[in-house]
Amino acid sequence: MDISFALTGKGYVLVAADTTAARSIIKMKSDEDKIKVLSPHLLMAFSGEPGDTVNFAEYVERNLRLYHIRHTYPLRPASAASWIRRSLAESLRSRSPYSVNLLLGGYDTATHTPELYWVDYLGTMTSVPFGAHGYGSYFALSLLDRYHDPEAGLEEGLAALRRCIDEVSKRLVVSPGKYKVKVVDKDGVREIEL
Amino acid sequence: MSIMQYNGGSVIAMVGKDCVAIASDLRLGNQSLGISSNFEKIFAMTERTYVGLPGLATDVTTLHEQLRYRLNMYTIKEERTMEPETFIHLVSSTLYEKRWGPYFIEPVLAGMQKTPSGAFRPFVASTDLIGCINFAKDFVVAGTASEKLFGVAEGLWEPDLEPEDLFETISQTLLNAVDRDAYSGWGAVVHVITKDKVVKRTLKGRMD
Amino acid sequence: MEAISHAGTVLGVLAKDGVVLAAEKKVTGKLLDMSGSKEGGYGGSGEKIFLLNSNVISGVAGLTADANSLVNYSRQTAQGHLFNYNDDIPVELLVQRLCDLKQGYTQYGGLRPFGVSILYAGYDPHYQFQLYHSDPSGNYSGWKATCIGANNGTAQSLLKQEYKDDIGIDEAVGLVLRTMSKTMDSTTLGSEKLEFATLTLDADKRPKAKIYKPAEIDALLVKHDLAKKDEDAEMRAA
Repeated sequence: MDISFALTGKGYVLVAADTTAARSIIKMKSDEDKIKVLSPHLLMAFSGEPGDTVNFAEYVERNLRLYHIRHTYPLRPASAASWIRRSLAESLRSRSPYSVNLLLGGYDTATHTPELYWVDYLGTMTSVPFGAHGYGSYFALSLLDRYHDPEAGLEEGLAALRRCIDEVSKRLVVSPGKYKVKVVDKDGVREIEL
Repeated sequence: MSIMQYNGGSVIAMVGKDCVAIASDLRLGNQSLGISSNFEKIFAMTERTYVGLPGLATDVTTLHEQLRYRLNMYTIKEERTMEPETFIHLVSSTLYEKRWGPYFIEPVLAGMQKTPSGAFRPFVASTDLIGCINFAKDFVVAGTASEKLFGVAEGLWEPDLEPEDLFETISQTLLNAVDRDAYSGWGAVVHVITKDKVVKRTLKGRMD
Repeated sequence: MEAISHAGTVLGVLAKDGVVLAAEKKVTGKLLDMSGSKEGGYGGSGEKIFLLNSNVISGVAGLTADANSLVNYSRQTAQGHLFNYNDDIPVELLVQRLCDLKQGYTQYGGLRPFGVSILYAGYDPHYQFQLYHSDPSGNYSGWKATCIGANNGTAQSLLKQEYKDDIGIDEAVGLVLRTMSKTMDSTTLGSEKLEFATLTLDADKRPKAKIYKPAEIDALLVKHDLAKKDEDAEMRAA
């Protein structure tokens, strides 16, 4: 079961996801990237049914890229999130629905605000200060209720994220070993080593 | 566990003297796990028509976008705003269109209806998830705390409340009802609508 | 193309804090029922200036029936964008979508193109205020000030002389009305021959389209000293 966390801070959004690709009880891979860069200022962590996840992520990635090429500017995070949500909501009532849960972290270059959206496979979307999917959410949400600060600098944000990861490693029976962390801010997207 | 209880949330609307009020909680959950304490379920459709959409959260967004599309096309072609009584029929037919695969939403509507004489009269109504309309004279409720809301509202509501008194009544009704419901709460929002203005207030609630 | 050169003039001017559109109405007369445009609605008589979306207004010149069909198409396109992306459609994108449709009718035999030129005044967060023109072939271009319909050459040269780059909305209104009064066939301006609209930002920085009602147009003309004058009164005074 995949685990992903995301949280906002002063002018940035942090997105983290584990790097395990598993089949049943067997780890097949331990350096899988489950965070897609959708546009210069938009990140998407995806989890759920294996197969659906990568297929849906690539579908989204290419449609947003097409919009960018056609109109010379990319969709803003809120609009991109709305479009992705609709794709999932329409898929839910189709013959073969995608089972994919998402965390969308973006930086709106027009309003200069960091934005984070929690999206599930039903097409439920809400804007949140922090969010999580998978078994990690039971630990992370309560920790972040206590330690999250929307005005925190990057170092403080990373410290809060480390708390979540450490707690999951300590308390969860099937905890993953490694995480990939990406951040999006006014300068765009980059990866961070924890 | 019914799909109507999956995300939680409740809405109530009440009639007052030359005013109406509509209020909802702000919780979005995944069964018992709380996800967001800022999920608004009440939407301003026109300047004096507000609709609350409690139920499955994905359908809250989808139905709101669907209704906004249809309302905007009506407004721009007819060159006039839609009245609440017309709007509830639009809601009804939009829901009945999906009779055999419904949106899991039970809408609640509050608005000021223009009468032929040019005056305004308070109007509230609700529908079930396939669009059967309930026109009420006093109040309407929906959502996971609807049974509790019925009880408290039955006790607190009285006819011809002024806007400030109506605000107090609807706020107390909502806050006390959702405290007895695990799937609703986490703050509330109240709109009091009179013929020429709307006052929106956000209330703090128990965060457990 | 022929119909457009005879159609009522439509004039647009882009200012730094808004856009102004004005149009000359051709279908007028004592017996024309104008009660619809006087009461209710968002203003305008529905002949020349239309609201396409909360952030775009348009002025049309050419075949009225074709124009109505295009206006309907663009309204659906704009609402479709709002539906899918939860945001107002960027102005250039709306123009592009309409031009794609127009171009389609020039490519295949058997069908005639839409005989309509359109001016679009709009706002979006990408490029702020914008003014576009599109012709029946599906070509479009952005302008600071431009004009379509009858006498558009005269109006163009007048605009070219008087336009300044940092023009404000109030000056733009004056410029549009002055240019309009010089290009129109009739000697005096009045609400029965004129449609007028502005697009500005409201206090919350959201685009606000205003299509003037007949009484508001007359008030505006009086303010700019271009209103119909009572000639008898002038004679007596002299």
